[in-house]
Amino acid sequence: MSQGNFAQFKLVLLGESAVGKSSIVHRFVKNTFDDMRESTIGAAFLTQSITLPESKTTIKFEIWDTAGQERYKSLAPMYYRNANAALCVYDITSKASLIKAQDWIKELKKQAPEGIVISLVGNKSDLTENREVEEGEVDEYIRQMTEDGSVIITSECSAKTGDGVLDIFNKIGRALPVEEAVGGNRSRQAGRRPGGVDLGRTNRQQTQSSSCC
Amino acid sequence: MAPEDKTEGSGSGRPPTVGGAHTLAANYLLTPKSHQRTDSSYSRNYSLLDIYGTESPLEEGTALPERGLDASIMKELDRLDFHDTDNSLTLDEPEIASPITIAFDRKSQIQPISPDNIDGLLKSPYDRYGFKKASAHHSTTKEEYNEWFKEYSQYSLRRKKKWLLLMKSNGLGLDNDNAIPTRFPPKSDKVKKMIRRGIPAEWRGNAWFFYAGGNEKLNKHVGVYDRIVKDTAEVQNKDTEVIERDLNRTFPDNIYFNDMLGADPGSSSTTINTDSLPTAETGMIKCLRRVLVAFAHYQPQIGYCQSLNFLAGLLLLFMEEEKAFWMLVILTERIIPKVHSANLEGVHTDQGVLMLCVKEYIPQLWSILGKTFEGETLSEDKILTRLPPVTLVTSSWFMSLFVGILPIETALRVWDILWYEGSKTIFRISLTICKMCLDNPEFQKARGTSGGGAEMDQIELFQFMQNFPKIILDPNFLVDNCFKKIGGYGFGSLPQDEINNCREFVSKQRSKLNSKKTSSLATELTDEERKTLISSSGSSYNDEDGSIHDVYGFHRSIMSGVVWNKNMSNKMKKKFSKRLK
Repeated sequence: MSQGNFAQFKLVLLGESAVGKSSIVHRFVKNTFDDMRESTIGAAFLTQSITLPESKTTIKFEIWDTAGQERYKSLAPMYYRNANAALCVYDITSKASLIKAQDWIKELKKQAPEGIVISLVGNKSDLTENREVEEGEVDEYIRQMTEDGSVIITSECSAKTGDGVLDIFNKIGRALPVEEAVGGNRSRQAGRRPGGVDLGRTNRQQTQSSSCC
Repeated sequence: MAPEDKTEGSGSGRPPTVGGAHTLAANYLLTPKSHQRTDSSYSRNYSLLDIYGTESPLEEGTALPERGLDASIMKELDRLDFHDTDNSLTLDEPEIASPITIAFDRKSQIQPISPDNIDGLLKSPYDRYGFKKASAHHSTTKEEYNEWFKEYSQYSLRRKKKWLLLMKSNGLGLDNDNAIPTRFPPKSDKVKKMIRRGIPAEWRGNAWFFYAGGNEKLNKHVGVYDRIVKDTAEVQNKDTEVIERDLNRTFPDNIYFNDMLGADPGSSSTTINTDSLPTAETGMIKCLRRVLVAFAHYQPQIGYCQSLNFLAGLLLLFMEEEKAFWMLVILTERIIPKVHSANLEGVHTDQGVLMLCVKEYIPQLWSILGKTFEGETLSEDKILTRLPPVTLVTSSWFMSLFVGILPIETALRVWDILWYEGSKTIFRISLTICKMCLDNPEFQKARGTSGGGAEMDQIELFQFMQNFPKIILDPNFLVDNCFKKIGGYGFGSLPQDEINNCREFVSKQRSKLNSKKTSSLATELTDEERKTLISSSGSSYNDEDGSIHDVYGFHRSIMSGVVWNKNMSNKMKKKFSKRLK
């Protein structure tokens, strides 16, 4: 790989329990899938990097995977504090989980750092027979939510087959203010951790999260 | 309710099993005759309180009285713990075993290790508890497991011999070496040492139950569990919804919980097409559902909290469901109160306590982790208002009591100690793990990758601390580090008193702050606003204005002017300085 830039961003996963947050992460980080994954207690931390060919930028995601149960919500501010991106995940076979994901978006818009890249992700796209949320169904909602000019990335994926998973992270990577950061134009934004990016560490060797379980 | 499948555990490729979980059906059949319970055991015209006994803290109590109760119980236990060499102080095992004990007494689910079956256990892809040896979850291979187990099985055999002698010398000799005792020696220094070195696995269920005061609890609530199960058979609510989603996500690596494993033992990242298969529900999952639903009903202030599934699940591997239910009650009432409550208040409290302990006893680690996200060092007076983010890692240690955090045998050894010695065990072990992390060269490396920007790479440290416990395959390594008088870290002498007082202190501070809480949790203040608030509120923690938003929030120096716990920590400090000399 030729010389490139390096940027690090914090990404948080939010959503109803059992929609597949951890499964998406494990597909992305380790390219594995377990049909039955243990419930996440508290939080889990992983990292994974992607390289955007067009800008030769390596983006390292600090992934904060969270427990889905309602009562863990009191910890949520801790999770999305300083987050640069959020994946609000629902299960396409459960309409209720979409509503929960939309609640998260609402909360993020109100509370999260300005400029956070939000995405709404429908997981379990392989379970077409049990689909409760149609693909176009979220469009109208997104139109309303983005009337203010903000952007919400929407996507479907299957952590099980791997379909669409990497794509989500690539989309997010492209939406993150990489250029701005790499250009050294680092105005410190309210609530965002100072310096998601470090020019001094270009072309740093990435240990592809080898320390993870 | 459908009759239960009693043939579980007979599939091929499984380790030999002894007995199945007792079934509800059998339970009901046995109940009227063998228990001879009369209607007067419970009221027909009942309220929750009447029928399930008044002991349950059904009403939303305030934190303090309960803490006080907890403290007094723990003090009592501690007194026994340290000074009880008198056999007359036998704990609550009744002279005549309760009818329930007899009716439900069955052999432990766990096969004893004997010189004859070690080979079989080494060959099996599963350990003797039914967990897959090669677990992606614990990053251990079967070979690594076996290498450890070869030695550990010999250790276990030696320990078992010592236990048999101990039983005999206490007049509790067994008919044969494979019998499972229901009574155990009274607490003493000797017994405590034996417990710390591990209870024979096949005795565990009974020993935990005995030392945790399970018999007493059960005898006070004869028939209550059956009643609740009956009452809740058809219940559907928010709790049951979450429970349903978690049932199959509880120990999917264990053959008792996951029926599909027997069919395909080798696969770790499976590609089995589950869509076409009706997922067979094991008897264990049915037990787990009943226990969790009953518990949510019995302790409505807790309901169901994710992580209870792992606690109940592990208990069910070692004891029948009624006992598992009461153990869960004992745990949440006495040992880690409020940790699983709807607002997770106990988690915040205990994390506050743990962080104060880290600061006090592992200052070197505190200097690394005692920071905010922005890399700002937390001063003493801010610890409780702004717990460092590392508590997102450590809080799961308290919620799941190291199940799924430590390798299974190591977690079980911690549980041996926990049920005997109480909640201080969780803090002692947590501190030991923290210190082991710090002492690990990899930790320093993870720290090094930060290139100086500590705030950047807290995630590396979190990952390390999150994954580190999973590699402690040898329980003795952890236990020795914690408890060994020479060469250990010394956390084994952290007294329950100190934990209790510290819990009370933290909890008091937090309830003061919470009562003043006025605005939403997530509101962020700028540094300036914070300064203004702090200066306007002066340095006294009992100042009435201002608001604390969350333990992970910010901005109020509640502890300024408070000399934290000096007297007690002096005790430990002395011990530590002795150790260093």
